Amino acid sequence: MTQDTRPTVKLSRRTLLQGSAAVAGVAAGSGAVTGFPAVWSAEPKVLRYLGTAVNQSADIAKKVKEDTGITLEYVAVTTDDVTKRVITQPNSYDIVDTEYFALKKLVPAGNLKAMNGRKIKEYGNITPVITKCELGDGTKIGDQGTAPKKVMFVDGEHSTKFSSGMTEWATLIPTVYNADTLGIRPDLIKTKVDSWAQLLNPEFKGKAAILNIPSIGIMDAAMVVEATGQYKYPDKGNMTKPEIDMTMKVLTEAKKNGQFRAFWKDFNESVNLMASGETVIQSMWSPAVTAVKSKGIPCVFQPLKEGYRSWASGFAVSKGVSGMKEDVAYEFVNWFLSGWAGAYLNRQGYYSAVLPTAKAAMEPYEWAYWMEGKPAEKDIHAPDGTLLDHAGNVRDGGSFDARMGKVACWNAIMDENDYMVRKWNEFIAA
Amino acid sequence: MTNLAQPSDAGTAAASTALAATDAATAPRAARPRGRYGWAPPAWLQALPMALVFALFFVLPLALVAVVSLLDYNDYEIVPAFTLRSYSETFEGCYDQLPGLCTILKTYWTTVELCFAVWAITLVVGFTISYFLAFHVRTLTMQTVLALVCTIPFWTSNVIRMISWIPLLGRNGLVNQALMGSGVVDAPVEWLLYSRFSVVLAFVHLFTFFMVIPIFNSMVRIDKRLIEAAYDAGASGWQTLWNVVIPLCKPGIVIGSIFVVTIVMGDFVTVGVMGGEQIASAGKIIETRLNALQFPPAAANAVILLAATLLIITALTKVVDIRKEL
Amino acid sequence: MRQPDLELIHLTKRYGDTVAVDAIDLKIAAGSYCCLLGPSGCGKTSTLRMIAGHEAASEGDIVFGPSNITDLAPAQRGTAMMFQSYALFPHLSCIDNVAFSLKMKGVDKAKRRARAAEMLDLVAMGRYGERLPAQLSGGQQQRVALARALITEPQIVLLDEPLSALDPFLRTKMRVELKALQRRLGIIFVHVTHSQDEAMALADLAVIMKDGRIEQAGSPRELFNAPRTAFVAKFIGGHNVLQGSAGAFAVRADRLHLSRPGADPDASPRGRGAGLDAVVRSVEYQGTFVQLTLDGAGSEITATLDEPTYDATPFQPGDPIAVSWNEGDVHPLAGAPSPPATSRPQLAPA
Repeated sequence: MTQDTRPTVKLSRRTLLQGSAAVAGVAAGSGAVTGFPAVWSAEPKVLRYLGTAVNQSADIAKKVKEDTGITLEYVAVTTDDVTKRVITQPNSYDIVDTEYFALKKLVPAGNLKAMNGRKIKEYGNITPVITKCELGDGTKIGDQGTAPKKVMFVDGEHSTKFSSGMTEWATLIPTVYNADTLGIRPDLIKTKVDSWAQLLNPEFKGKAAILNIPSIGIMDAAMVVEATGQYKYPDKGNMTKPEIDMTMKVLTEAKKNGQFRAFWKDFNESVNLMASGETVIQSMWSPAVTAVKSKGIPCVFQPLKEGYRSWASGFAVSKGVSGMKEDVAYEFVNWFLSGWAGAYLNRQGYYSAVLPTAKAAMEPYEWAYWMEGKPAEKDIHAPDGTLLDHAGNVRDGGSFDARMGKVACWNAIMDENDYMVRKWNEFIAA
Repeated sequence: MTNLAQPSDAGTAAASTALAATDAATAPRAARPRGRYGWAPPAWLQALPMALVFALFFVLPLALVAVVSLLDYNDYEIVPAFTLRSYSETFEGCYDQLPGLCTILKTYWTTVELCFAVWAITLVVGFTISYFLAFHVRTLTMQTVLALVCTIPFWTSNVIRMISWIPLLGRNGLVNQALMGSGVVDAPVEWLLYSRFSVVLAFVHLFTFFMVIPIFNSMVRIDKRLIEAAYDAGASGWQTLWNVVIPLCKPGIVIGSIFVVTIVMGDFVTVGVMGGEQIASAGKIIETRLNALQFPPAAANAVILLAATLLIITALTKVVDIRKEL
Repeated sequence: MRQPDLELIHLTKRYGDTVAVDAIDLKIAAGSYCCLLGPSGCGKTSTLRMIAGHEAASEGDIVFGPSNITDLAPAQRGTAMMFQSYALFPHLSCIDNVAFSLKMKGVDKAKRRARAAEMLDLVAMGRYGERLPAQLSGGQQQRVALARALITEPQIVLLDEPLSALDPFLRTKMRVELKALQRRLGIIFVHVTHSQDEAMALADLAVIMKDGRIEQAGSPRELFNAPRTAFVAKFIGGHNVLQGSAGAFAVRADRLHLSRPGADPDASPRGRGAGLDAVVRSVEYQGTFVQLTLDGAGSEITATLDEPTYDATPFQPGDPIAVSWNEGDVHPLAGAPSPPATSRPQLAPA
């Protein structure tokens, strides 16, 4: 093996890198790292990428390898565990893909390094939805909860306090975001669903589901409370104790009445629940709706009049990363914003952080369908080739501006998070 | 004369050696000369590796958990200040709400109920299977094969196993289709899945094995002549079962019960998935707390769970002296 | 009132194609001590277990007095069994072991324990009532097992190798006690053993079995003095099985006359009766007697001499020797398979 890879003939840069990575891999595996020529130990461009499995696409890893020679080592854990890992094991990853709402925990803990905007080529082109909570035309959108703009900027590389305005130091460089709503099975529901209130409609008793993450579950409940006119929250993403009590009471009653079939925890669970007909209405993620549809089962990511519950995630670098490794991390983030990855995400129904680069990487008919809400000129396919929608159909919820313009709140961690978690346990025990 | 003296001396020497050996053998143990074969390492060294592993990977973490449970915390980190907050908040309202139950008591009540149901069912099912294996299956090979059959549920991954319940027990699952097809019910039976029933079912199908093995092990060690002796003394089949077989299987029953009880008490995955995350369990409280990065209350709940489990096990071991029976 | 006899009629036990007990007929008189004797696999234990009701008879009947008990449950037959290695319930104290059958009958606790205590006293185990079987010696366990068997007031006690688990000293002692107990109770004891010593010492009726059949049944004296087959003669020991012109016959080892060939014409085989020439292979001093093993033209012959007789003519290994016996000591053997021709001893002309 060592014989074969010795560079006696000229090698392309990529071959050389792959060879060195392979050798490094073998060396690490065998524990024998002595005796290699210096050239071999130089820069195997590897990034340990911590995040949830949903975002860790093999296609992206393959493409980034082709384009930059960077090898992504995915560390796949659940949403909650991403946060836990960042706080408890900061040395177990190089780059983390996490949600903005988690930053209220992650940044004060001091385990992340702010990213330098000047080293990010597209920094200035990042969508204002994230940086300012407004659309491209300046229209303000809902900023209840942990809106990204509130937690995206800090004053310096190691600052643990959020800045109120834009700075050149970003806690997370956004990658993907979306506006979540309820998924429904139109074939099994006769009532018209146009409001969050329907989630707790007794008609769907035993056939509804919410997310088993307390901070998100309570927000869905808050949408229902507002939709039914019971209460208007100053900030659904940051409730007071009495507000938490009141919201939990609504949830508890629904649970006692058998409204919920199950609370789901991961992507596949939500797909299975919906596809099997165990649930007909549930809070859902856009690609999960896509996954149900791709099985030939009708499923709609239903726009609701009260608006969407939105979320965004992005990249941050572990505080332990520096020097060469840090350069690789920046190279990767820049690659991610440069178009291919953005187009890849847009084609799944997500939104990418830098729209112009993504647009350049997509076919005009795709852009028109996904971003402009126009009827599909041709059949719409997912990146893996699955047929998602037939020609002539329109995306659920319409255009980017129509969907993101109707954001009612953002996934959040409340100031009273501790109290809320205790109340959640009480709710489960009820 | 000289040539006779030689063997005679040798004989005397041999005799005295033999005598010495006898002396050594009959002498009290303490007086036995130490180190006849050189220095002998102390016997406790044999237990040292396990003791170290135990100390390092069990006692130490457990001590840490206990310490953490007494510390304060905020949204993202443990604050190194002593407080009973995690405990007092865990038991909050337990007195005020009487006779109603507070969260922690409700949760434990649910857990204990589930535990009892699973224990009772696995015990009966496990005992029956063991009885069949021990008394009706003739060859050892067949007994081994059939015992291994009980492990089949473990051959697949937890996730696959859990997911595969939906097509079976779901609203449109096989069981419901069969029930509706045969006209037993008009509408799908909802409680087949995401209910206590499905939680207990999942536990039972997994953990009956943990009952079968120790009970079977106790049972095969029962001398078949004891059964005949009971029969000879006029005992009926049930009397023999109750007066001979069950008492002699007690150690197996207790060990199996300890397995099942500890697993069910600490479980949150099966309860979560099969209960649609809507059924409270002691483990789930810990999980929720951990996920919210609230380590001290999670630790406090772990300590409480440990105490509760130890209490149950102590009660179980009171039923039979395991040391003696092993 | 006279107790009934136990009778086995054509009793047969088959396990698949194997015949363990082959249509045996046996009558055991009331109040007698019967030993079933034979090598392992002879069917003695199967027979006992059929009497006990722990094996179903394939054919034939077991009749006890006026009643056919062949198909009754063990507890309904009036039998009680004492199992090999006693089968005491390890989780029950001695007194509860003994009281077990009364408990099964629903006798209340005080009553059954009192009765069990009496039974323990009977076997001199009264002091050990609260001990667990594991805390007792083998002999003590045996007594408890016996008490447990007797508490049902059986009319037949069945004992499966009761003494085999004991050391030789205890075995002899318990043997005496068993016999005494049986005498006192006056009921039938059926005792399975492979030791002829035990059978000799205990039995009123010794039954020697082989290959599922009864070879010979009778008092130990009858068996020893008139073995009917070569198997019986060999199994009970103390006999030499020889082949004569009229067939096989047995001669007791202590009835052989030994002399130096030609030393004394009067004592020569020719003068005294039948005999043969042999060579001394070994000489063993046994205390009350001396045992000589002789090579009689390829066949092994055992002779026992009392000490003075031996001292008169002390043979050494390798010595040629003339063996003779009185015609009156010859027991012709019936229908026994002849020993192979090559090992047939060379007999002097009769």
